[in-house]
Amino acid sequence: MRPAIEPGDWLLVDPRVRNWPAKGSVVVFHEPDTDELAIKRVTAGPRERVSFAEGYLVLGDDEAWLTADADSAATAELGFGQPRDSRNYGPVPIELLVGRAWFRYAPLGRFGRLRRR
Amino acid sequence: MSRLTRWLSPSTVVRAHCDLPCGIYDPEQARIEAESCYKIIEKYQANSDSTYRTRAIAIKEERAELVKHHLDVLWHDYFKPEHLEKVPKLHEMFWNATKQVSKVKASTDLADAKKLLDQIDEIDAAWKATGGAEKTRVVKQPA
Repeated sequence: MRPAIEPGDWLLVDPRVRNWPAKGSVVVFHEPDTDELAIKRVTAGPRERVSFAEGYLVLGDDEAWLTADADSAATAELGFGQPRDSRNYGPVPIELLVGRAWFRYAPLGRFGRLRRR
Repeated sequence: MSRLTRWLSPSTVVRAHCDLPCGIYDPEQARIEAESCYKIIEKYQANSDSTYRTRAIAIKEERAELVKHHLDVLWHDYFKPEHLEKVPKLHEMFWNATKQVSKVKASTDLADAKKLLDQIDEIDAAWKATGGAEKTRVVKQPA
């Protein structure tokens, strides 16, 4: 999730779910294929259209499209492959969302609110 | 860690997952599973016992799923856009092969399994043309 979030950042997560997932916000959720807790940005919400496999798909009423901020060049620099996100496992059901990450309280040099995109 | 730091430190860790490719790729993995499908169909046809046949179908289903997995890994992780210059029909090859896996899942016709093997061999040729074992395998100790 670089550059928005760096490894080791300490974040506050708002578990209230009303009026979200707002597009552009960063969310914590259970990955659909592994059930592990992960963090990505909401790039499309329910009923929105997203590009997929040289076409597009329309999200359902209870689905969000979550993607990494980092592109493959940034992850390759760290020795990783492609980011794993909705482009791999598809739309994420809203029931798998845990909360919205909204504030970073450490490290102090990066203290502050997480910006929406 | 001070008591305050301990108190402030997060109780939950979340991850921003990326793939961590080992860089080892070989269409042989897919071929071995596809050969299993081929042999299972042969055995299915040679045996009339219903329990045996049911098991054979279930095992073929599992093996076929593994073929699909190995082909997907090659397609998504090994092949890169620049390889399209050497293998312009790359996407079509994978599209046809993975579709053929679905056909093999539903079929007990040996010809379907043979066609899949041929398609994997085409992918193998593409893998070799773009680097093959030299780039994606660890050298074996000479016998």
